Amino acid sequence: MDAILSGQLLAAALVTGALYALTALGLNLVYGTMRLLNVAHGDLVMIGAYVAFWAFTLLALSPLLSLLGSAALAALLGLALYYGLFRRLLDGGKAAQRLEANSLLLFFGVSVIVQNLAALQFTSTPRGFQYLDEVYHFGNIAVTGNRIAAFLVAIAICLGVMAFLRFHVTGLAIKALIQRRDAAAIVGVNIERVQILTLCLGFATASVAGALVSMTEQISPFMGFPFTIAAFVVIILGGLGNITGGIAAGFLLGLLETYGVALTSSAYRSILVYGVFVLILLVRPQGLLGGRRTVR
Amino acid sequence: MIRNLSLAIAATAALATAASAESVKIGFSIAKTGLFAAGAPSQLNAYELWREQVNAKGGLNVAGKKMMVEFVQYDDQSNPGNAVKIYEKLITDDKVNLLLAPWGTPHHFAVAAVLEKYKFPMVGNTAASVQLREIKAGYIWFPTSTIPDKMAVEMVKLLKANGYKTAALINNVLPFAKEFKAAIVPELKKSGIELKVSEEYPPDIKDMTAMLSKVKAASPQAVIVLSYPSDSVLYAKQAKEIGISAPFQFVAIGPTIDFYSKAVGPAANGFVTMGHWSPHKAEWKRAKPFYDAYVKKFNEKPDYLDTVLSYMSCEILEQAVAKAGLDKEKIRQAISTMTFDTINGPVKFQGVQNAITPTAFLQIQGDELQIIWPKSIATSSFKAKTGW
Repeated sequence: MDAILSGQLLAAALVTGALYALTALGLNLVYGTMRLLNVAHGDLVMIGAYVAFWAFTLLALSPLLSLLGSAALAALLGLALYYGLFRRLLDGGKAAQRLEANSLLLFFGVSVIVQNLAALQFTSTPRGFQYLDEVYHFGNIAVTGNRIAAFLVAIAICLGVMAFLRFHVTGLAIKALIQRRDAAAIVGVNIERVQILTLCLGFATASVAGALVSMTEQISPFMGFPFTIAAFVVIILGGLGNITGGIAAGFLLGLLETYGVALTSSAYRSILVYGVFVLILLVRPQGLLGGRRTVR
Repeated sequence: MIRNLSLAIAATAALATAASAESVKIGFSIAKTGLFAAGAPSQLNAYELWREQVNAKGGLNVAGKKMMVEFVQYDDQSNPGNAVKIYEKLITDDKVNLLLAPWGTPHHFAVAAVLEKYKFPMVGNTAASVQLREIKAGYIWFPTSTIPDKMAVEMVKLLKANGYKTAALINNVLPFAKEFKAAIVPELKKSGIELKVSEEYPPDIKDMTAMLSKVKAASPQAVIVLSYPSDSVLYAKQAKEIGISAPFQFVAIGPTIDFYSKAVGPAANGFVTMGHWSPHKAEWKRAKPFYDAYVKKFNEKPDYLDTVLSYMSCEILEQAVAKAGLDKEKIRQAISTMTFDTINGPVKFQGVQNAITPTAFLQIQGDELQIIWPKSIATSSFKAKTGW
């Protein structure tokens, strides 16, 4: 019981939660604005992790700097996919009505291609490196430097994106698109520009999450899938397209997972997480914090 | 354009046929994609190094005649069902002369029936399970000595030898870890070592804080972590964070792979792991040259478990073919009866199992992995883990 009340668990829950929130943020933006179901989302995490790994290994560059490179590369990929695949899909016509299903299939293909390209390029051998590995003590809580850094960066980006959506004119346009796509076009929002920007932003944040994760986990071409799943659980919990709700849900999942496991056993982790996921879908399909179309 | 292309294809095909007239075709499936893809390079690298070395010597000695080695390989997508189809195709369609093993226990078990059906001998490598003894002896052999029940007995001996009386066990729920757990829990009980914590966790675990808090609170002398590579990394990072101070910490799968020390660093110093090979074993004359050649070719250390076993399987096949030629029945008899000189010392099979290599443990000591148990093949002695 002492373990439950200790700050150690709370610290672990907050770090996990912050990474979940950041990972899910991009998925939520992309779904919210374009109704694209990006099942390749976790692969962007993988790409970000590899950029950080190679930058650290070859150039001795801190992941906290190379995460800018991770973000840029993922944003470029977003741009390429937009012009190569999704522009026509989003352009209306018959396909638009089946947008979610089509995007799911397309992204599934993208996921397989990206994973296998990574495996060809980097081999499937797992990778890892040490950065900020020293342990810091706060009272009886011990946390490694890289987990503190991951937490702070994830929080900063989540808050930054929230502020951007609330105060910047482009951010407001993104929100407008999430709320009422047609109305946004009528009031003069440049839909295409906003879509491109959101896709790039969504991809970039996932990739940054990968750079952060690379400091604490092993990296492999097939590491992305659990992140895709976690991101979907989070955005369903928070309400699809609800950005603030998604961030809150990220933390909620972190807490639920850490304390749930502490109270029962690690063997129940998946049952807990997916149990809650299914429960939410059954009783509150609009998400815990969903229900209103207003985006805060 | 199309004409040129078809000409090119025809020319390539002709070249391939010309080459195969003087070469021996060796087939295998490999998990290039999917669940096992992360493990498979350790095996493929061994095969490629071996082929390169054999061809550099002028080819494989086939009962006195030198033939160049040519590989025929397909991706089985980590699916044992695909491996079955691939080995059927290799035997009946590609008509390979010899076979090498696929990666992992499930794949070995799956192709065993194909080997039996076509009476085609194959030396296994990257498989370890108590169930392999149930496979009918004849066309498949397993050089490994890391069988869970034998390891459980030896580990308890190692713990007793160092006077440890309390233990904590955490394990992944994947089959090998479960087998190991099923074997070691009764052994610990029998020996009077108190098991203070026993917890299971799923393969996709991302945080061990809750579980390791329980382990820390129990302060056992031995922590036994039955893990796979990704959770082995997680354990090292989080056990260091939380400050687990047990002098004996066993981490099952991961520490023998080169990436592990890069990912974990000095935190892994003192970890005990499974394995029965070290390049420092001077009596095994082929060990150090293999290690040096591998590091030179791939610019990283071999996996002391999977790469070594895979290379051993090539050596065994090479020595059997040198004596028996390419006749399947003669190869089968050679493998069943000969004693082989490998990088892991002498190997001789009894039934499907290697009867010589003892079940052993390695320990990370500084930058090196040393054999610390049993004494008969040890290259160093066990040293208690003193910190992170």
